Amino acid sequence: MMNKLIFGRFIPGDSLIHRMDPRAKLVASFYFIGIIFLANNWQSYLLLGAFTLFAVFLSKVDFRFFLRGVRPLIWLILFTVILQMLFTRGGELYWSWGIFSLSEFGIKNGLFIFCRFILIIFMSTLLTLTTPPLSMSDAIESLLRPLRVIHVPVHEIALMLSIALRFVPTLMDETEKIMNAQRARGVDFNEGGLIQKMKAIVPLLIPLFVSSFNRAEDLATAMEARGYRGGEGRSKFRILSWGKLDTGVVIIFGLLTIALVIVRT
Amino acid sequence: MDIRFEKVSYVYQANTPFEQRALYEVDLAIKDGSYTALVGHTGSGKSTLLQHLNALLKPTAGKVEIGDRIITPETNNKNLKPIRKKVGIVFQFPEAQLFEETVAKDIAFGPQNFGVSEADSLVLAEEMLHLVGLDDSYLERSPFELSGGQMRRVAIAGVLAMEPEVLVLDEPTAGLDPQGRKEMMEIFLKLHREKKLTIVLVTHLMDDVANFADYVYALEKGQVVKAGTPQEFFQDVAWLKEKQLGVPQASAFAEKMQARGAQLTTLPLTEAELADWIVHEAGERP
Repeated sequence: MMNKLIFGRFIPGDSLIHRMDPRAKLVASFYFIGIIFLANNWQSYLLLGAFTLFAVFLSKVDFRFFLRGVRPLIWLILFTVILQMLFTRGGELYWSWGIFSLSEFGIKNGLFIFCRFILIIFMSTLLTLTTPPLSMSDAIESLLRPLRVIHVPVHEIALMLSIALRFVPTLMDETEKIMNAQRARGVDFNEGGLIQKMKAIVPLLIPLFVSSFNRAEDLATAMEARGYRGGEGRSKFRILSWGKLDTGVVIIFGLLTIALVIVRT
Repeated sequence: MDIRFEKVSYVYQANTPFEQRALYEVDLAIKDGSYTALVGHTGSGKSTLLQHLNALLKPTAGKVEIGDRIITPETNNKNLKPIRKKVGIVFQFPEAQLFEETVAKDIAFGPQNFGVSEADSLVLAEEMLHLVGLDDSYLERSPFELSGGQMRRVAIAGVLAMEPEVLVLDEPTAGLDPQGRKEMMEIFLKLHREKKLTIVLVTHLMDDVANFADYVYALEKGQVVKAGTPQEFFQDVAWLKEKQLGVPQASAFAEKMQARGAQLTTLPLTEAELADWIVHEAGERP
């Protein structure tokens, strides 16, 4: 059921993209999503598209993964694109009916939004497919570190994040297990009206909550038994290292931005 | 009720990049009134196979006959409830499925899903609670106050309350103390003998297989690699050791005696058989 979601999964590999520092990857992905909004004509979208495809190619990840990442969002994308197309006026008018119209600007806007969606999804899929969740939380901890000055509990946030990430698959397995056990006792999760469906979820939710509480208690005990006393004075096992590759990526992104500014109108 | 597998294959997440095959053309028959054991290493496909027994999973190829229902890849998900009533599954660590406010309500939950009235199901709950060895004082307690072993019993009672014809047990005694383990296994044997329940037991404990089962299937990498009565199954001790499946303690002991020159005609599987054999041997000595 939930296994169909590709978005947010990690695929082990050994490519240039896999070897990048997760901080660089994270910042680069957000930066890319930012500069997508600079693009405003065909040439600039072409440039960004080519750049994205090149990155996808470098990652050596099967292209099908990316297409599957788009799939769950396709209706949202189409909906937005069609709304844009029907409600934007300007330029040459091809067709209109009441408040709806199909104009040159509308079509252009719609297609641009489509490209924007696809590029954002591809880049974020690329980030999650090539970065192990734990490195991601390390990266977030490292990037948030400056915020400690204003008393943001960075270590605690990072700890919660990495524990949460670690337990997502475990909880999903647990959900599946309990669901099967309840189905075997005659619960139908897909039948009946809205109220019946909501009622059917109770035998799933309560055991899940209870097992999460138990798990949290066990985990806290185990952590204390191993000497965990909070973030103060801890050393790190996984140390992030900024390499030439990462500096290279920063330069490439700089060049991309310059090119984009030149190309856009 | 017979359950029959014909060339059943199952693939997880078919047609995605994460595709994973769990079963390869499995043929298997569970006869009405039998006590069948399924053994195999972790990841051999036991749990996948188990979920086919009451149509929680449908085969991706082949067919499963459950009584008079035939489940094929095309079978609709509707109307599978009657199957689930007839085939009760006790999953591993079934205490995770408890959720109601009281033990009585939790046990009655299954029957109520199958249309038993509230009053009748509560009577049933009381009966089942006794069957698994707990007394009336537990009926009104919250399942979450109980100890792990008691929760396990309540969960099993909840499955038994559906009055299934086939009872599937996935390592029902894992994590229980020796006493609790013995009691549980005796309850199942009693149900098998007195109520003629067909039992399918998934286990790693070869002693349980030798003591209780009348037919054994061994799975490896999604395929049935050996099948037979326990007597046939444990005969080939070398093969079992090679597959690291283990042999019952009595058989291992008898093997050691054999290595020291004792004469064996058939391999004893249980302690009782071993004792009989030793007494017999001793009797022949002058």
